[in-house]
Amino acid sequence: MEIAQLYDLAEPPVGAELDASALVGEWVNSNADTRSIARLTIFESDGKLLARVFGIGPKGLIDWGEAELEIFSSSPSSSTPSGFTGYYDFGFAETEIKGMIMKGLLVFAQFHRFKDDSQRADYFVREYFSLFHGKF
Amino acid sequence: MLEFKQISHLDSVLTNPATRTLRANDLLGRWLNTNRETTGIAECNIERQGERFMISLVGVGSKGPIEWPRVEGKLLANLDEEGGQRAVAVSATFEFSFMKSETYIRLNRGVLVVVFYNTFLDNSSRANYVTREFFSRSA
Repeated sequence: MEIAQLYDLAEPPVGAELDASALVGEWVNSNADTRSIARLTIFESDGKLLARVFGIGPKGLIDWGEAELEIFSSSPSSSTPSGFTGYYDFGFAETEIKGMIMKGLLVFAQFHRFKDDSQRADYFVREYFSLFHGKF
Repeated sequence: MLEFKQISHLDSVLTNPATRTLRANDLLGRWLNTNRETTGIAECNIERQGERFMISLVGVGSKGPIEWPRVEGKLLANLDEEGGQRAVAVSATFEFSFMKSETYIRLNRGVLVVVFYNTFLDNSSRANYVTREFFSRSA
């Protein structure tokens, strides 16, 4: 088994595929004044994990549409999901999204690369999202 | 009229040339994992070659250090304030025959934070995984 660090030296998770249910739900930005993403919905469809992202616009939310997510666990031997990645191509820009669950909080990073001639710098945003659970 | 999908796409800071390299040199140097017992990445080196930022990592191996391939990092303006200071972040992808590691690197109050999204490309059935490690500047 090849490794790039000792951490890679692990027995694969036994049997089950990653259970994505811990990621599923409505995630809301902890910052009510964000100028970035207000919320995202993660859901399963046809055996795939998908996200639907809503950006903050000047006149309300902007629906980014759906993106398929790749799921990441917490270790090579774990079947517990701990993160995901996804990708949007808007034509004028492309955006990678990368999420990581930390103590129930979604640490959500965005990587924006502009493809138009606007001379805007590629940039990074990192924010926190909590799962709307309706319990409290 | 600029196209956008969120208001931050229109942030005037993004068209300021200085934003692209803001405090980038703060990332340079040799960084050591704050956890001496790590079984992950022991060391991160960031060098500047003109306008290019080169990243090299050293993994902890069973028989000694494992040198990761040296790659060029992509600078990203950072709209976040980290400890009251705004500085660029860097993304870099390391490719092995059996694994790909997509990383992003940023500074937070003097600590280098690296997040790894590791995808196995072999048939080992190991789960793809995400980790985060912290590095302090080597004395």
